[in-house]
Amino acid sequence: MINIAVSSQKGGVGKTTLSINLAHAFARAGVRTLLVDADPQGSVGLSLTRQSRLLTGFYDYLEDPGISLDRLIVPTRLETFSLVASGQASDYEAGGGMGAHLARVRAFLRGVAARGFELCIIDTAAGLFGVTGDVIASSDAIMIPQQAEPLGIRSVPKLLEGLNRLRVMNPRLTVLGVCLTMVQNDLAESTEAAAALRELLPPEMVFQTQIPRDRLFVRASARGLPVGVLEDGAGAQVVFDALRAEIEAKLEPADATRGVHG
Amino acid sequence: MNPINPWIDADEVRRLAARLMRPVRNPAVNLSDAGFDEGFVGFTGERTASPAPPAPQPEALTPPALPVVVSTPPLPNPPSPSAARGPFLERIQRFRDWMAREFSATGVFILDREGAVIFDESDRGRLHFLARSLALASRRPGTSAANVHVKIGAGTTLEVIPVETAYGCLVLGAVVPDALPPAAVHAVMEALARIAAPPGGA
Repeated sequence: MINIAVSSQKGGVGKTTLSINLAHAFARAGVRTLLVDADPQGSVGLSLTRQSRLLTGFYDYLEDPGISLDRLIVPTRLETFSLVASGQASDYEAGGGMGAHLARVRAFLRGVAARGFELCIIDTAAGLFGVTGDVIASSDAIMIPQQAEPLGIRSVPKLLEGLNRLRVMNPRLTVLGVCLTMVQNDLAESTEAAAALRELLPPEMVFQTQIPRDRLFVRASARGLPVGVLEDGAGAQVVFDALRAEIEAKLEPADATRGVHG
Repeated sequence: MNPINPWIDADEVRRLAARLMRPVRNPAVNLSDAGFDEGFVGFTGERTASPAPPAPQPEALTPPALPVVVSTPPLPNPPSPSAARGPFLERIQRFRDWMAREFSATGVFILDREGAVIFDESDRGRLHFLARSLALASRRPGTSAANVHVKIGAGTTLEVIPVETAYGCLVLGAVVPDALPPAAVHAVMEALARIAAPPGGA
Protein backbone atom coordinates (compact mmCIF):
# COMPACT_ATOMS: atom_id res chain seq x y z
CA MET A 1 0.00 0.00 0.00
CA ILE A 2 1.04 3.57 -0.65
CA ASN A 3 -0.07 6.34 1.64
CA ILE A 4 0.02 9.93 0.54
CA ALA A 5 -0.31 12.90 2.87
CA VAL A 6 -1.92 15.95 1.29
CA SER A 7 -0.52 18.79 3.35
CA SER A 8 0.21 22.47 3.18
CA GLN A 9 1.74 25.13 5.32
CA LYS A 10 -1.25 27.37 4.80
CA GLY A 11 -4.97 26.69 5.12
CA GLY A 12 -7.60 27.38 2.49
CA VAL A 13 -5.49 26.27 -0.46
CA GLY A 14 -7.91 23.67 -1.78
CA LYS A 15 -6.44 20.73 0.07
CA THR A 16 -9.73 19.01 0.76
CA THR A 17 -11.04 19.48 -2.76
CA LEU A 18 -7.83 18.03 -4.10
CA SER A 19 -7.91 15.08 -1.68
CA ILE A 20 -11.54 14.14 -2.37
CA ASN A 21 -11.31 14.33 -6.11
CA LEU A 22 -7.92 12.73 -6.39
CA ALA A 23 -9.02 9.81 -4.20
CA HIS A 24 -12.10 9.46 -6.35
CA ALA A 25 -9.98 9.47 -9.52
CA PHE A 26 -7.84 6.61 -8.19
CA ALA A 27 -10.90 4.68 -7.04
CA ARG A 28 -12.55 5.09 -10.45
CA ALA A 29 -9.40 3.64 -11.98
CA GLY A 30 -9.91 0.52 -9.88
CA VAL A 31 -7.42 1.27 -7.10
CA ARG A 32 -8.79 0.33 -3.69
CA THR A 33 -8.62 3.74 -2.08
CA LEU A 34 -9.21 5.02 1.44
CA LEU A 35 -9.61 8.75 1.96
CA VAL A 36 -8.84 9.81 5.52
CA ASP A 37 -9.92 13.10 6.97
CA ALA A 38 -7.12 14.03 9.37
CA ASP A 39 -8.24 17.61 9.64
CA PRO A 40 -10.06 18.30 12.91
CA GLN A 41 -12.30 20.69 11.01
CA GLY A 42 -13.56 17.58 9.27
CA SER A 43 -13.88 19.08 5.83
CA VAL A 44 -13.82 15.79 3.95
CA GLY A 45 -16.49 14.38 6.17
CA LEU A 46 -18.55 17.51 5.87
CA SER A 47 -18.23 17.40 2.14
CA LEU A 48 -19.07 13.79 1.58
CA THR A 49 -21.24 12.52 4.38
CA ARG A 50 -24.05 14.48 5.92
CA GLN A 51 -23.76 12.64 9.22
CA SER A 52 -20.01 12.94 9.42
CA ARG A 53 -20.14 14.50 12.87
CA LEU A 54 -21.81 11.38 14.16
CA LEU A 55 -19.19 9.04 12.78
CA THR A 56 -16.36 7.66 14.80
CA GLY A 57 -13.24 8.84 13.04
CA PHE A 58 -9.52 9.25 12.81
CA TYR A 59 -9.06 11.41 15.91
CA ASP A 60 -11.20 9.08 18.00
CA TYR A 61 -8.93 6.25 16.91
CA LEU A 62 -5.86 8.24 17.97
CA GLU A 63 -7.33 8.93 21.38
CA ASP A 64 -8.81 5.56 22.18
CA PRO A 65 -6.79 2.39 21.67
CA GLY A 66 -9.96 0.38 22.16
CA ILE A 67 -11.49 1.55 18.90
CA SER A 68 -11.20 -0.89 16.03
CA LEU A 69 -10.28 0.43 12.60
CA ASP A 70 -13.26 -1.44 11.16
CA ARG A 71 -15.58 0.94 13.00
CA LEU A 72 -14.10 3.90 11.17
CA ILE A 73 -14.25 2.81 7.55
CA VAL A 74 -17.30 4.10 5.70
CA PRO A 75 -17.97 2.52 2.32
CA THR A 76 -19.34 4.55 -0.57
CA ARG A 77 -21.41 3.64 -3.60
CA LEU A 78 -18.15 3.14 -5.47
CA GLU A 79 -16.88 -0.22 -4.30
CA THR A 80 -13.22 0.80 -4.44
CA PHE A 81 -13.71 4.04 -2.52
CA SER A 82 -14.02 4.26 1.27
CA LEU A 83 -13.73 7.08 3.78
CA VAL A 84 -12.63 7.65 7.33
CA ALA A 85 -14.15 10.77 8.86
CA SER A 86 -12.36 13.10 11.21
CA GLY A 87 -14.52 11.93 14.09
CA GLN A 88 -16.15 13.13 17.24
CA ALA A 89 -13.02 14.60 18.69
CA SER A 90 -13.74 17.87 16.97
CA ASP A 91 -12.13 19.89 19.71
CA TYR A 92 -9.01 17.87 19.46
CA GLU A 93 -5.84 19.84 19.85
CA ALA A 94 -4.13 19.45 16.49
CA GLY A 95 -1.09 21.47 17.40
CA GLY A 96 1.59 20.78 19.93
CA GLY A 97 4.66 18.67 19.80
CA MET A 98 5.25 15.98 17.29
CA GLY A 99 5.52 12.33 18.09
CA ALA A 100 2.72 12.08 20.62
CA HIS A 101 0.57 10.08 18.21
CA LEU A 102 3.18 8.61 15.93
CA ALA A 103 2.78 5.02 17.09
CA ARG A 104 -0.99 5.22 16.80
CA VAL A 105 -0.85 6.80 13.35
CA ARG A 106 1.45 4.04 12.19
CA ALA A 107 -0.83 1.40 13.71
CA PHE A 108 -3.69 2.98 11.78
CA LEU A 109 -1.77 2.77 8.51
CA ARG A 110 -0.74 -0.82 9.16
CA GLY A 111 -4.38 -1.65 9.77
CA VAL A 112 -5.43 0.05 6.53
CA ALA A 113 -2.85 -1.94 4.57
CA ALA A 114 -3.96 -5.16 6.26
CA ARG A 115 -7.50 -4.54 5.05
CA GLY A 116 -6.40 -4.67 1.45
CA PHE A 117 -6.39 -0.99 0.55
CA GLU A 118 -3.87 -0.12 -2.13
CA LEU A 119 -3.86 3.61 -1.59
CA CYS A 120 -4.53 5.77 1.43
CA ILE A 121 -4.86 9.51 0.89
CA ILE A 122 -4.75 11.56 4.07
CA ASP A 123 -6.14 15.07 4.07
CA THR A 124 -4.24 16.71 6.91
CA ALA A 125 -4.76 19.89 8.88
CA ALA A 126 -2.78 22.90 7.71
CA GLY A 127 0.73 23.26 9.12
CA LEU A 128 3.49 20.74 9.49
CA PHE A 129 3.30 20.11 13.22
CA GLY A 130 1.33 18.06 15.74
CA VAL A 131 -0.72 15.20 14.34
CA THR A 132 -0.04 16.45 10.80
CA GLY A 133 3.67 16.08 11.48
CA ASP A 134 3.08 12.56 12.75
CA VAL A 135 1.11 11.70 9.62
CA ILE A 136 3.84 13.05 7.35
CA ALA A 137 6.48 11.26 9.39
CA SER A 138 4.58 8.03 8.71
CA SER A 139 3.77 8.58 5.05
CA ASP A 140 5.32 7.21 1.90
CA ALA A 141 4.73 10.40 -0.02
CA ILE A 142 3.47 13.93 0.29
CA MET A 143 1.85 16.28 -2.15
CA ILE A 144 1.46 19.95 -1.49
CA PRO A 145 -1.46 21.97 -2.84
CA GLN A 146 -0.47 25.57 -3.34
CA GLN A 147 -2.92 28.30 -4.22
CA ALA A 148 -1.85 30.24 -7.29
CA GLU A 149 -1.67 33.64 -5.71
CA PRO A 150 1.40 35.70 -4.76
CA LEU A 151 0.94 35.83 -0.99
CA GLY A 152 0.48 32.10 -0.69
CA ILE A 153 3.46 31.32 -2.85
CA ARG A 154 5.68 33.53 -0.73
CA SER A 155 5.18 30.95 2.03
CA VAL A 156 6.98 28.33 -0.07
CA PRO A 157 10.42 28.81 1.55
CA LYS A 158 8.94 28.12 4.97
CA LEU A 159 7.16 25.08 3.60
CA LEU A 160 10.36 23.70 2.11
CA GLU A 161 12.25 24.26 5.34
CA GLY A 162 9.56 22.41 7.25
CA LEU A 163 9.53 19.53 4.80
CA ASN A 164 13.29 19.21 4.95
CA ARG A 165 13.05 18.93 8.72
CA LEU A 166 10.34 16.29 8.45
CA ARG A 167 12.30 14.38 5.86
CA VAL A 168 15.13 14.03 8.34
CA MET A 169 12.62 12.25 10.55
CA ASN A 170 11.18 10.21 7.70
CA PRO A 171 13.90 9.62 5.11
CA ARG A 172 11.67 7.42 2.98
CA LEU A 173 9.26 10.28 2.34
CA THR A 174 8.87 10.93 -1.37
CA VAL A 175 8.00 14.51 -2.18
CA LEU A 176 5.60 14.19 -5.09
CA GLY A 177 5.58 17.91 -5.54
CA VAL A 178 3.54 21.06 -5.42
CA CYS A 179 0.18 21.15 -7.14
CA LEU A 180 -1.07 24.59 -8.13
CA THR A 181 -4.70 25.04 -7.12
CA MET A 182 -7.41 27.65 -7.61
CA VAL A 183 -5.69 28.82 -10.75
CA GLN A 184 -7.62 31.62 -12.41
CA ASN A 185 -6.63 31.82 -16.03
CA ASP A 186 -8.55 35.05 -16.46
CA LEU A 187 -6.63 36.79 -13.69
CA ALA A 188 -3.12 37.98 -14.47
CA GLU A 189 -1.96 37.88 -10.83
CA SER A 190 -2.95 34.23 -10.59
CA THR A 191 -1.27 33.08 -13.80
CA GLU A 192 1.83 35.17 -13.06
CA ALA A 193 2.12 33.66 -9.62
CA ALA A 194 1.80 30.17 -11.08
CA ALA A 195 4.46 30.92 -13.71
CA ALA A 196 6.79 32.39 -11.10
CA LEU A 197 6.50 29.30 -8.94
CA ARG A 198 7.32 27.09 -11.92
CA GLU A 199 10.35 29.23 -12.64
CA LEU A 200 11.48 29.07 -9.06
CA LEU A 201 11.21 25.35 -8.31
CA PRO A 202 12.73 22.41 -10.19
CA PRO A 203 10.32 21.20 -12.89
CA GLU A 204 9.97 17.78 -11.29
CA MET A 205 8.75 19.45 -8.11
CA VAL A 206 5.71 21.12 -9.65
CA PHE A 207 2.90 19.04 -11.14
CA GLN A 208 2.14 19.84 -14.74
CA THR A 209 -1.53 19.49 -13.96
CA GLN A 210 -3.04 22.44 -12.16
CA ILE A 211 -6.45 22.74 -10.58
CA PRO A 212 -8.56 25.60 -11.83
CA ARG A 213 -10.86 27.64 -9.63
CA ASP A 214 -14.24 26.34 -10.67
CA ARG A 215 -17.78 26.78 -9.40
CA LEU A 216 -18.30 23.06 -10.02
CA PHE A 217 -16.30 22.30 -6.89
CA VAL A 218 -18.67 24.34 -4.77
CA ARG A 219 -21.66 22.62 -6.33
CA ALA A 220 -20.13 19.18 -5.86
CA SER A 221 -19.34 19.88 -2.23
CA ALA A 222 -22.88 21.12 -1.61
CA ARG A 223 -24.28 17.85 -2.94
CA GLY A 224 -21.78 15.71 -1.05
CA LEU A 225 -20.12 14.38 -4.18
CA PRO A 226 -16.74 14.36 -5.88
CA VAL A 227 -16.88 16.71 -8.83
CA GLY A 228 -16.43 13.88 -11.31
CA VAL A 229 -19.85 12.42 -10.61
CA LEU A 230 -21.75 15.61 -11.40
CA GLU A 231 -23.62 15.46 -14.68
CA ASP A 232 -21.42 18.25 -16.06
CA GLY A 233 -18.32 17.24 -14.11
CA ALA A 234 -16.55 15.26 -16.81
CA GLY A 235 -14.26 18.15 -17.68
CA ALA A 236 -13.16 18.56 -14.08
CA GLN A 237 -12.68 14.82 -13.75
CA VAL A 238 -10.20 14.92 -16.64
CA VAL A 239 -8.02 17.25 -14.58
CA PHE A 240 -7.86 14.82 -11.68
CA ASP A 241 -7.30 11.86 -13.97
CA ALA A 242 -4.29 13.70 -15.36
CA LEU A 243 -3.07 14.37 -11.85
CA ARG A 244 -3.51 10.70 -11.00
CA ALA A 245 -1.43 9.70 -14.02
CA GLU A 246 1.34 12.09 -12.95
CA ILE A 247 1.36 10.66 -9.44
CA GLU A 248 1.48 7.10 -10.73
CA ALA A 249 4.49 7.99 -12.87
CA LYS A 250 6.23 9.63 -9.93
CA LEU A 251 5.52 6.69 -7.65
CA GLU A 252 6.67 4.09 -10.11
CA PRO A 253 10.37 4.14 -9.13
CA ALA A 254 9.48 4.14 -5.45
CA ASP A 255 7.08 1.25 -6.00
CA ALA A 256 9.82 -0.75 -7.64
CA THR A 257 11.89 -0.55 -4.48
CA ARG A 258 8.96 -1.17 -2.16
CA GLY A 259 7.35 -3.88 -4.25
CA VAL A 260 3.89 -2.57 -3.57
CA HIS A 261 0.98 -0.79 -5.09
CA GLY A 262 -1.78 -2.08 -7.26
CA MET B 1 6.83 41.51 -13.11
CA ASN B 2 7.67 38.41 -11.16
CA PRO B 3 5.39 38.57 -8.10
CA ILE B 4 7.47 36.21 -6.00
CA ASN B 5 11.17 36.61 -6.46
CA PRO B 6 11.54 40.07 -4.92
CA TRP B 7 10.23 38.59 -1.67
CA ILE B 8 12.32 35.49 -1.34
CA ASP B 9 15.84 34.20 -1.68
CA ALA B 10 15.45 32.17 -4.87
CA ASP B 11 18.82 30.46 -4.52
CA GLU B 12 17.98 29.30 -1.03
CA VAL B 13 14.58 28.03 -2.16
CA ARG B 14 16.17 26.11 -5.03
CA ARG B 15 18.71 24.60 -2.66
CA LEU B 16 15.94 23.49 -0.27
CA ALA B 17 13.89 22.11 -3.15
CA ALA B 18 16.81 20.20 -4.62
CA ARG B 19 17.55 18.68 -1.23
CA LEU B 20 13.95 17.56 -0.90
CA MET B 21 13.90 15.89 -4.28
CA ARG B 22 17.15 14.04 -3.70
CA PRO B 23 16.54 10.44 -2.67
CA VAL B 24 18.05 9.39 0.60
CA ARG B 25 20.67 6.78 -0.08
CA ASN B 26 21.96 4.01 2.14
CA PRO B 27 20.19 4.99 5.31
CA ALA B 28 22.07 3.92 8.37
CA VAL B 29 19.02 2.68 10.22
CA ASN B 30 15.98 0.55 9.56
CA LEU B 31 13.79 2.96 7.66
CA SER B 32 10.53 1.58 8.88
CA ASP B 33 11.64 2.35 12.40
CA ALA B 34 13.71 5.41 11.79
CA GLY B 35 12.98 8.54 13.68
CA PHE B 36 15.90 10.48 12.28
CA ASP B 37 18.43 9.83 9.54
CA GLU B 38 22.06 10.76 9.10
CA GLY B 39 21.11 14.39 8.70
CA PHE B 40 20.07 14.53 12.32
CA VAL B 41 22.73 16.31 14.31
CA GLY B 42 21.19 16.00 17.72
CA PHE B 43 19.68 18.42 20.15
CA THR B 44 21.84 19.36 23.08
CA GLY B 45 22.85 15.81 23.76
CA GLU B 46 26.17 14.13 23.36
CA ARG B 47 27.48 10.63 23.66
CA THR B 48 28.82 9.94 27.06
CA ALA B 49 29.24 6.26 27.45
CA SER B 50 30.98 3.35 25.91
CA PRO B 51 28.88 0.71 24.12
CA ALA B 52 26.61 -1.41 26.24
CA PRO B 53 28.39 -4.11 28.22
CA PRO B 54 27.98 -7.76 27.27
CA ALA B 55 24.86 -9.49 28.53
CA PRO B 56 25.25 -10.65 32.11
CA GLN B 57 26.03 -14.28 32.85
CA PRO B 58 23.29 -16.25 34.57
CA GLU B 59 25.19 -16.34 37.83
CA ALA B 60 25.98 -12.65 37.68
CA LEU B 61 23.36 -11.62 40.15
CA THR B 62 25.86 -9.86 42.30
CA PRO B 63 26.54 -6.22 41.56
CA PRO B 64 28.89 -5.80 38.61
CA ALA B 65 32.33 -4.39 39.18
CA LEU B 66 32.02 -0.76 38.29
CA PRO B 67 34.79 1.01 36.42
CA VAL B 68 37.12 3.08 38.51
CA VAL B 69 36.53 6.71 37.78
CA VAL B 70 38.97 9.31 38.91
CA SER B 71 37.75 12.74 39.97
CA THR B 72 34.09 11.95 39.70
CA PRO B 73 31.45 11.92 42.39
CA PRO B 74 30.96 8.64 44.26
CA LEU B 75 29.14 6.06 42.25
CA PRO B 76 25.65 5.13 43.27
CA ASN B 77 25.02 1.81 44.90
CA PRO B 78 23.69 -0.58 42.31
CA PRO B 79 20.43 -2.32 43.08
CA SER B 80 20.82 -5.22 45.44
CA PRO B 81 21.15 -8.71 43.97
CA SER B 82 17.66 -9.52 45.10
CA ALA B 83 16.40 -6.82 42.75
CA ALA B 84 17.06 -9.15 39.88
CA ARG B 85 14.74 -11.82 41.23
CA GLY B 86 10.98 -12.00 41.41
CA PRO B 87 8.30 -11.10 38.87
CA PHE B 88 9.47 -8.83 36.11
CA LEU B 89 7.26 -5.89 36.99
CA GLU B 90 8.40 -5.95 40.60
CA ARG B 91 12.01 -6.02 39.46
CA ILE B 92 11.42 -3.09 37.17
CA GLN B 93 9.73 -1.17 39.97
CA ARG B 94 12.69 -1.80 42.23
CA PHE B 95 14.92 -0.60 39.41
CA ARG B 96 12.76 2.51 39.10
CA ASP B 97 13.08 3.13 42.85
CA TRP B 98 16.84 2.75 42.58
CA MET B 99 16.95 5.25 39.72
CA ALA B 100 14.90 7.71 41.75
CA ARG B 101 17.05 7.25 44.82
CA GLU B 102 20.44 7.41 43.16
CA PHE B 103 19.85 9.80 40.29
CA SER B 104 16.78 11.75 41.38
CA ALA B 105 14.98 10.38 38.34
CA THR B 106 11.44 11.72 38.35
CA GLY B 107 10.21 9.68 35.44
CA VAL B 108 11.35 6.35 34.09
CA PHE B 109 10.06 4.45 31.11
CA ILE B 110 11.26 1.45 29.13
CA LEU B 111 10.45 0.72 25.51
CA ASP B 112 11.15 -2.42 23.56
CA ARG B 113 12.85 -2.46 20.18
CA GLU B 114 9.50 -2.03 18.43
CA GLY B 115 8.78 1.06 20.46
CA ALA B 116 6.12 -0.63 22.57
CA VAL B 117 5.95 0.54 26.16
CA ILE B 118 7.12 -2.08 28.63
CA PHE B 119 7.03 0.16 31.64
CA ASP B 120 6.11 3.77 32.12
CA GLU B 121 5.63 5.65 35.32
CA SER B 122 6.92 8.87 33.85
CA ASP B 123 3.53 10.24 32.83
CA ARG B 124 5.39 11.68 29.87
CA GLY B 125 4.17 9.63 26.94
CA ARG B 126 5.17 12.38 24.54
CA LEU B 127 8.80 11.58 25.29
CA HIS B 128 8.56 8.01 24.02
CA PHE B 129 8.99 8.91 20.38
CA LEU B 130 11.82 11.28 21.15
CA ALA B 131 13.61 8.64 23.22
CA ARG B 132 13.27 5.96 20.62
CA SER B 133 14.32 8.27 17.81
CA LEU B 134 17.38 9.36 19.75
CA ALA B 135 18.26 5.75 20.46
CA LEU B 136 17.96 4.87 16.78
CA ALA B 137 19.91 7.92 15.72
CA SER B 138 22.73 7.01 18.08
CA ARG B 139 23.17 3.67 16.40
CA ARG B 140 25.75 3.38 13.65
CA PRO B 141 26.46 0.34 11.49
CA GLY B 142 28.50 -2.22 13.34
CA THR B 143 28.21 -0.54 16.71
CA SER B 144 25.89 -0.70 19.66
CA ALA B 145 23.61 2.20 20.33
CA ALA B 146 25.08 4.69 22.77
CA ASN B 147 23.33 6.80 25.34
CA VAL B 148 22.12 10.26 24.48
CA HIS B 149 20.71 13.02 26.60
CA VAL B 150 18.70 16.05 25.73
CA LYS B 151 17.63 18.98 27.85
CA ILE B 152 13.85 19.06 27.90
CA GLY B 153 13.26 21.89 30.34
CA ALA B 154 14.75 24.02 33.06
CA GLY B 155 16.53 21.58 35.33
CA THR B 156 15.25 18.50 33.52
CA THR B 157 17.11 16.29 31.10
CA LEU B 158 15.92 13.21 29.29
CA GLU B 159 18.59 10.56 29.48
CA VAL B 160 18.13 7.87 26.85
CA ILE B 161 20.07 4.67 27.37
CA PRO B 162 19.74 1.77 24.95
CA VAL B 163 20.56 -1.48 26.71
CA GLU B 164 21.19 -4.84 25.10
CA THR B 165 19.36 -7.48 27.08
CA ALA B 166 18.42 -11.08 26.71
CA TYR B 167 15.16 -9.82 25.16
CA GLY B 168 16.86 -7.55 22.64
CA CYS B 169 17.60 -3.88 22.83
CA LEU B 170 15.51 -2.01 25.38
CA VAL B 171 15.42 1.76 25.45
CA LEU B 172 15.44 3.29 28.90
CA GLY B 173 14.24 6.85 29.22
CA ALA B 174 14.76 8.69 32.47
CA VAL B 175 13.97 12.27 33.36
CA VAL B 176 16.82 13.45 35.53
CA PRO B 177 18.02 16.85 36.76
CA ASP B 178 21.29 16.64 34.82
CA ALA B 179 22.90 14.36 32.28
CA LEU B 180 24.36 11.27 33.91
CA PRO B 181 28.14 10.89 33.94
CA PRO B 182 29.58 7.98 31.93
CA ALA B 183 30.19 5.74 34.92
CA ALA B 184 26.63 6.19 36.10
CA VAL B 185 25.33 5.38 32.63
CA HIS B 186 27.43 2.25 32.67
CA ALA B 187 26.00 1.27 36.03
CA VAL B 188 22.44 1.84 34.81
CA MET B 189 23.12 -0.26 31.72
CA GLU B 190 24.41 -3.15 33.77
CA ALA B 191 21.61 -2.89 36.27
CA LEU B 192 18.87 -2.89 33.63
CA ALA B 193 20.49 -5.74 31.71
CA ARG B 194 20.57 -7.76 34.91
CA ILE B 195 17.02 -6.84 35.86
CA ALA B 196 15.77 -7.82 32.40
CA ALA B 197 17.57 -11.16 32.38
CA PRO B 198 15.21 -14.15 32.49
CA PRO B 199 14.90 -15.77 35.91
CA GLY B 200 17.56 -18.41 36.30
CA GLY B 201 19.66 -16.74 33.65
CA ALA B 202 18.20 -18.71 30.76
